[in-house]
Amino acid sequence: MDRKTRNLKQEIADKLKDETLRGALGRFSEVYPTARAKAYENAGDIETLREAVRQMKHETVSRLEEVTARFEAEATKRGAKVFRAKDGDDLKAYLVALCKEKKVKRVVKSKSMASEEIDLSKHLEANGITATETDLGEWIIALAGQKPSHMVMPAIHLNRFQVADYFSKELDREISPEIAHLVQEARKELRQKFLQADMGISGANFGIAENGAVGLVTNEGNGRMVTTLPRIHVVIIGYEKLIPTVKDAAKILRVLPRNATAQLMTSYMTMISGPTPAMVKRDDKWVEEEREMHIILLDNGRLKAAKDEKFREIFQCVRCAACLNVCPVYTLVGGHVYGGHTYAGGIGAILTAFLHGMNQFEQFHELCIGCRRCTTVCAGKIDIPGLIEELRIRKVQEKGLPFLLKQTFQNVISNRKLFHSLLRLAAVGQKPFQSGNLIRHLPLFLAGMAKDRSLPAIADKPLRDRIGKITKKIEKPVKKIAFFSGCTMDFVFPETGESVFKVLQDLGMEVIFPEGQSCCGKPVVALGDVETTQKLARANIKALEEQNPDVIISACPTCMESLQHYAELLKEDPEWGPKAEAMAKKVREFCSFVAEEYEKRGRLKKGKGGPKVTYHDSCHMKRVLGIDKAPRQLLEAAGYELVEMKDSDKCCGMSGIFGVKYTELSMPMLEQKISNIRETGAEIATCACSGCMVQLQGGLDKQLPGVRMKHVADILAEKIKD
Amino acid sequence: MRKTCDNWKRHFPAGKFGPHLFAEFEMRTKAVSSEVFRVSRATDAAAVLLGLVEAAQVKNAVLVESPLQEAAGITAALRSRGIVVYTESDQIAAHADTADIGISGVEFGIAETGSVFQDGYDIATRLVTILPPLHVVFLPSSHIVPGIEEAFEIITPGFERGYCGFITGPSRTADIERVLTIGVHGPSRLAIIAVDEEIQGGNA
Repeated sequence: MDRKTRNLKQEIADKLKDETLRGALGRFSEVYPTARAKAYENAGDIETLREAVRQMKHETVSRLEEVTARFEAEATKRGAKVFRAKDGDDLKAYLVALCKEKKVKRVVKSKSMASEEIDLSKHLEANGITATETDLGEWIIALAGQKPSHMVMPAIHLNRFQVADYFSKELDREISPEIAHLVQEARKELRQKFLQADMGISGANFGIAENGAVGLVTNEGNGRMVTTLPRIHVVIIGYEKLIPTVKDAAKILRVLPRNATAQLMTSYMTMISGPTPAMVKRDDKWVEEEREMHIILLDNGRLKAAKDEKFREIFQCVRCAACLNVCPVYTLVGGHVYGGHTYAGGIGAILTAFLHGMNQFEQFHELCIGCRRCTTVCAGKIDIPGLIEELRIRKVQEKGLPFLLKQTFQNVISNRKLFHSLLRLAAVGQKPFQSGNLIRHLPLFLAGMAKDRSLPAIADKPLRDRIGKITKKIEKPVKKIAFFSGCTMDFVFPETGESVFKVLQDLGMEVIFPEGQSCCGKPVVALGDVETTQKLARANIKALEEQNPDVIISACPTCMESLQHYAELLKEDPEWGPKAEAMAKKVREFCSFVAEEYEKRGRLKKGKGGPKVTYHDSCHMKRVLGIDKAPRQLLEAAGYELVEMKDSDKCCGMSGIFGVKYTELSMPMLEQKISNIRETGAEIATCACSGCMVQLQGGLDKQLPGVRMKHVADILAEKIKD
Repeated sequence: MRKTCDNWKRHFPAGKFGPHLFAEFEMRTKAVSSEVFRVSRATDAAAVLLGLVEAAQVKNAVLVESPLQEAAGITAALRSRGIVVYTESDQIAAHADTADIGISGVEFGIAETGSVFQDGYDIATRLVTILPPLHVVFLPSSHIVPGIEEAFEIITPGFERGYCGFITGPSRTADIERVLTIGVHGPSRLAIIAVDEEIQGGNA
């Protein structure tokens, strides 16, 4: 597959039509979270287990050379041969030479993603060596001439009928498409391969420096076959799999099977240290000999990552693929679309950048929507979306922005006055298509975007033009608050901005809207333009701080996150860095702040008798800010009956520019969300993020017009008498 | 017989193992389709095994001895029923692929996961364990540790070099449509015969 110039939009369109894939992934993503949680029931605190893996792997990579040297020395001391391969070519040359020297004709392989990464089997075949994959899923995709679409379940995208077809072709007879039968056919066929093979090649789930052992975690038993039957065993292991001690393996083993397949343990967990005996037939007699053991450590870009202060984090990956199982985009399109040469999903995007180059990363990195669901399950607690964002930044630093984006960011968004006058112009320009607050009839070329979702209209009068009217004079204010509205609330949902004013003023606080505030910078930094973001940050700090407020309030979690991130963004700036840091301490999210103030005043008590309401947890509200209780308490305090929706914290599909650029992916996510809202029977859907409001309001308008969308601030404001 | 560690029991963590963990071990291992038979005396174990081999119509067996099996007189019992039993490594190498049953001993069980730990440095042990469709293991019912961590407290001092690991139920796959299918490359049945009687000799 040529992965250099991909037509991602076309690939997505094709995959969305693939019912086998969508059925399989859809069902799996439904059952996975519950199955995983059940697997951890007897394991103690999941966070403690994940932290133990993170810490151990993090500590290992910080002294990788020392750990590697120990591993090599211990394995060598016991009689294994260790070779460090700098890349795929290096490994393949070494292995082919070894096969020639040892007269190896037939190789059986158990699962190794590293060998997939370097297309090893193809190379062996080209050199006259028969290489057979023995993991059932790997064998299927090898017969299909495909790449794995999932690290743990490589053939999840195929169904029994397709598998039966591939088997029929390979075995040259009709194989019936019954799963148990297909498995038995594979067993029979591959058993002969195991018995005849001269060499077994395995991957490794871990390599132990303390005694030079490798560990294999498998279910089918092929790992044990490959390391037991052939007279030579070759291990291909990436440097990221090395761990210091035997005991450290326990940390991985308590998490890996539970995370990967929701098993407490796989059928086989095998550890091998040094060469072991083999039975070899000599002159028609079976005799015991020492099996040769070769260990090949594969670099192929890994060591570069290990030296990188930020990216050494990928060494915390244990290849459990839990991140894929919860990813809303992966579970829609699978790993052939959301993936590079070998590795799928968000972690795959990062690995691809290092192992296969930035060009491949660029082809599909946009499919990470930054919802951070993966970070809640990752065995090694890797900040996958954060690392992807960092790669985007580096890409821009290296190659610059595409022309149009550059123009928009550097000339329009960073110029507040120009940006805002364009937004005002848009309010006029959209008139013919607008109905109520949503655009219902769009020009044809935009129709695709609005098919299942009405796009919001730019308000006639932005929040910034309403300040005079909504500002109340507060005698002896309790606190002075600067409100940072964000563009969406300013220009699309000014009424919600008014609600924020009302709620805070009702608490006896003076609220100011600093005129000079502009875009928080999130959409800009998300595309890698740090320079423009820094410019915006300085302008916002200036605008907010010159009011000398006690507290800075944001009612949008994404803006809130950006404001807090300014300190990191400007840390090299001697003038603005300290200011950003000082400001970060004043920034508060609206719901959590108001809940706290209500609590002080005894107003956070659960009311009753109100209509049913449901609440959507925005990705950034819940997983970045960690706020999920406060908005719920506020809704109940307002007297509403809160009905939880299914998957309340699953992304609504907006995610900034993604929701517009990849409408075809955004829509299925939105549909699922709307259906979950429908099932609650609530009259009102709420959230506390203006980005999500755009998406949800648009979806409700088209798909569930009876249900209204409100920000938590709106609900609270309605309870306050003027 | 070559072993990774000559006396695993020596490394059992004091106060952290015992028959009180057997019930949890049994529940967990049954949950992953293992069959469990617990007997009080070693001599009762032979009857259980004979029941199994009769039901499975076993004609030939590959077997690696362990102290429990010896005390139970397993090999002799099988042969008395006319079953061909291969016990030498060259015979095992020749017949493991076509044998109806593989029989071996394991060192301890893990309650957390329902796994058994086997020292597989000996090549015959591994062939017996992985090739036949039915694998029967003998386990002292008091040799149960609570979890993976305690298992590694034993493994760490014992695993200087060699081959060892966990076996947790029969071989399985879900690679086609995520449908769980038992019995891929390894055995489709794993039966655990647990014996309460303590046998001298340390290991299983």
